[in-house]
Amino acid sequence: MAPKKKEEPKPAAAPKPPEPEPPKEPEFDPKEVQIEFTAEQIEDFKDSFQLFDRTPTNEMKITYAQCGDLIRALGQNPTNAEVMHVLGKPKAEDMNSKMLDFDTFLPMYQHICKAKDRGTFEDFVEGLRVFDKEGNGTVMGAELRHVLATLGEKMKEVEVEQLMTGQEDANGCINYEAFVKHIMAG
Amino acid sequence: MGCGVTKQNQKQIKKAMRAALLIQRWYRQYVARLEMRRRCTWNIFQSMEYAGEQNQIKLYKFFSYLMDHFTPASSERNLIAHIFRENEVCRDAEWERYFNYKNIEVPEFYSGPHLNFPLTATNATELVEAFRTKQQLHSRYVLQLLVETWKLLRILPNINHVSTCHSKEITICGDLHGHLEDLLLVFYKNGLPSMETPYVFNGDFVDRGKNSMEILLILFAFLLVYPNDVHLNRGNHEDHIVNLRYGFTKEVLGKYRVHGKKILKLLQKIYSWLPLASVIDQKVLILHGGISDTTDLDIIAKVDRHRVRHLWPGKQRMLISLALFLQVVDMLWSDPMPIDGCVPNEVRGGGCYWGPDITREVLEKHNLQLLIRSHECKQEGYEFCHNRKVLTIFSASNYYEVGSNRGAYIRLGPDLVPHLIQYQASRSTRDLTLRQRYGVGRTERSALRALREQLFAHKSDLISAFQEFDPEQTGLISLNHWATAMESVLQLGLPWRMLRSQLVNHTQDGKLNYQSWFKELAIMEPNTQLAHTNLLETLYKHHSNLETIFRIIDTDNSGLISFEEFRQTWRLLSSHLQIDISDEAISDLAQSIDFNKDGSIDINEFMEAFRLVDRTQQERSNSTLSGVHPHLLQSEHPTKTLLVSASPHFV
Repeated sequence: MAPKKKEEPKPAAAPKPPEPEPPKEPEFDPKEVQIEFTAEQIEDFKDSFQLFDRTPTNEMKITYAQCGDLIRALGQNPTNAEVMHVLGKPKAEDMNSKMLDFDTFLPMYQHICKAKDRGTFEDFVEGLRVFDKEGNGTVMGAELRHVLATLGEKMKEVEVEQLMTGQEDANGCINYEAFVKHIMAG
Repeated sequence: MGCGVTKQNQKQIKKAMRAALLIQRWYRQYVARLEMRRRCTWNIFQSMEYAGEQNQIKLYKFFSYLMDHFTPASSERNLIAHIFRENEVCRDAEWERYFNYKNIEVPEFYSGPHLNFPLTATNATELVEAFRTKQQLHSRYVLQLLVETWKLLRILPNINHVSTCHSKEITICGDLHGHLEDLLLVFYKNGLPSMETPYVFNGDFVDRGKNSMEILLILFAFLLVYPNDVHLNRGNHEDHIVNLRYGFTKEVLGKYRVHGKKILKLLQKIYSWLPLASVIDQKVLILHGGISDTTDLDIIAKVDRHRVRHLWPGKQRMLISLALFLQVVDMLWSDPMPIDGCVPNEVRGGGCYWGPDITREVLEKHNLQLLIRSHECKQEGYEFCHNRKVLTIFSASNYYEVGSNRGAYIRLGPDLVPHLIQYQASRSTRDLTLRQRYGVGRTERSALRALREQLFAHKSDLISAFQEFDPEQTGLISLNHWATAMESVLQLGLPWRMLRSQLVNHTQDGKLNYQSWFKELAIMEPNTQLAHTNLLETLYKHHSNLETIFRIIDTDNSGLISFEEFRQTWRLLSSHLQIDISDEAISDLAQSIDFNKDGSIDINEFMEAFRLVDRTQQERSNSTLSGVHPHLLQSEHPTKTLLVSASPHFV
């Protein structure tokens, strides 16, 4: 009998050979965060926090799901992954039911503020320029829609639609500098 | 050949992904900021709305106190007694004589709709069409319709029991508040009420909008034609004293100058006979406000509902027990809250806040599975809470301002799963940009304008509060102190720090010069020169209360009160508010108002002096649905709403 090729062992317990993943981020520990905001700034944040507070007796609590929106409304632009990280990777069903108070929120927000690589306005324009095939200051609306819905942290069709309404010209092109100005003006 | 992707391609893809991520992050931030602004604007409108309601309650309490505490000899007591005089002694037969419409002739040149009784479906449909083309129903028909409605309502039970047998789907509408365009839009999308299309209308048909009368007439007409398929629940605005403040009384008197007061009197009776709730298939409870820890439907079913005329238990206290009265008030005024328990509703001044535990208890007690209510404006026209056991439905779109919110209605079939349909009556082009969809811009400006009005009304109090933080009288205060002072005076619970950038233009080293700040505000609001004298400022601050009192005093609803009544009103109000204004000052003021009819004061003229020119109001009245071209109506969300592009004719 010809010698069979040795089959690769497939022991159930053996881990998969590691892919070139970035090292796992340590879990978020709010106690490790040094608050660097001024008292004035904190008062400002409290006002905004209160806007999201739905309790009529002003308990100063918001749901986990609102956390990301609040962080963004205050001026940061984290990815969804970063938001989940500071929330301690909650389960999907907890997002609308679990609540947090302001003191829990503050270190989360501080951590996001400290993160490097925030992405400036110029980066934003650069990002759009990537899709400017002809280098003429416009991107194809259709292409942008496709990209936003399929790459990165995918946007829902509804969200893409909302973003793009009124932005495309008769040829379906978007002048992205104007687009960016439009968003910044909001 | 390994993978088909070259190194160059890989780089491109990575670049594209990074770019996509960046754009998405920016988009999400943009949306969050818009949402924040929207909430802020919403907060402003809502807190001012509720503060107004609370004011109303305080007024009731004040009158009640006076009734109990003034000696018979005092003239104020006479005034109050005269205000609350209820002609209870008359029997229904006598009332029917008083409301006799048979002597009212309809002139030949009248081009509006004619009604024949008993009403037919054709009549009702013609009525809708007539109102759509902005016609007005003659007062003879109005009275006749109302009398028939009154007779019918008297034999209805407190709780309507509705069934989805025969596989019928029931449509449930929330607050309409005089927005005829929204009701027409619902009818267009959903069909007119009929045996195949039953409806429940959940209260607050009137006030604020300018077609409250037409809405009532349409609803009552269909109620008469299809009494088993159209169900009305009473709302907290189905109350004649609330109407005095929020515009319906004025609307009726304006449209029916000769018979307006009879119509209003009849409506008072009709309101008290409106059912309090509806139950579908013994499983879904529908009522206007909500519930409380004392809600018991078996008790509600037996109460004499027509003895609850309005919110405050004044004289009517004698006709019904306080506990029963409060149960009814709770049904019409309460709001849900996310935490367990039941606390008095301090914001509105009536009813309570109830939590998810109360919902569970009450639903279990009566073997129900869902509570549908209205009473609160929601941006999407609806909102679930309490684990989807409570559904708020609100049917007046653009309630605070054009673009502020959508309206919605519910379709409920035998499976009792609510299906929601949203809409928005608007003249704007179909393609609203994201900012417009969020009601940022116009709605925001409108809210800020209303807020600035409030600031002016409280100028003296605000300046005093600022001065407390400025003991050395430098004229400057820190922005922190500014925010604290604003809240302590206005008590609107608003995020002042967030609003700061919209309200304050200049600061010196992080401090605000408050006197010059007021001057700056004045430049933006030219008509508020009124607020500069102390007396006028006080009057302005309380002008809503004043107007309500005037209309109460004006029992013949003529729009005129005598000079003496005016003085008495003023003395009454000033004792309530504990402000000291001399008789002389009042007389001087009265002199400066234009007397146009033998020592009488025209209420409207007087109130006009306090009305700041509101451009948006005029614009709004121009943009409501015109009779001929409803392609004004637009589609918002492709999967949920309707695009209307042709002029419908109701068949």
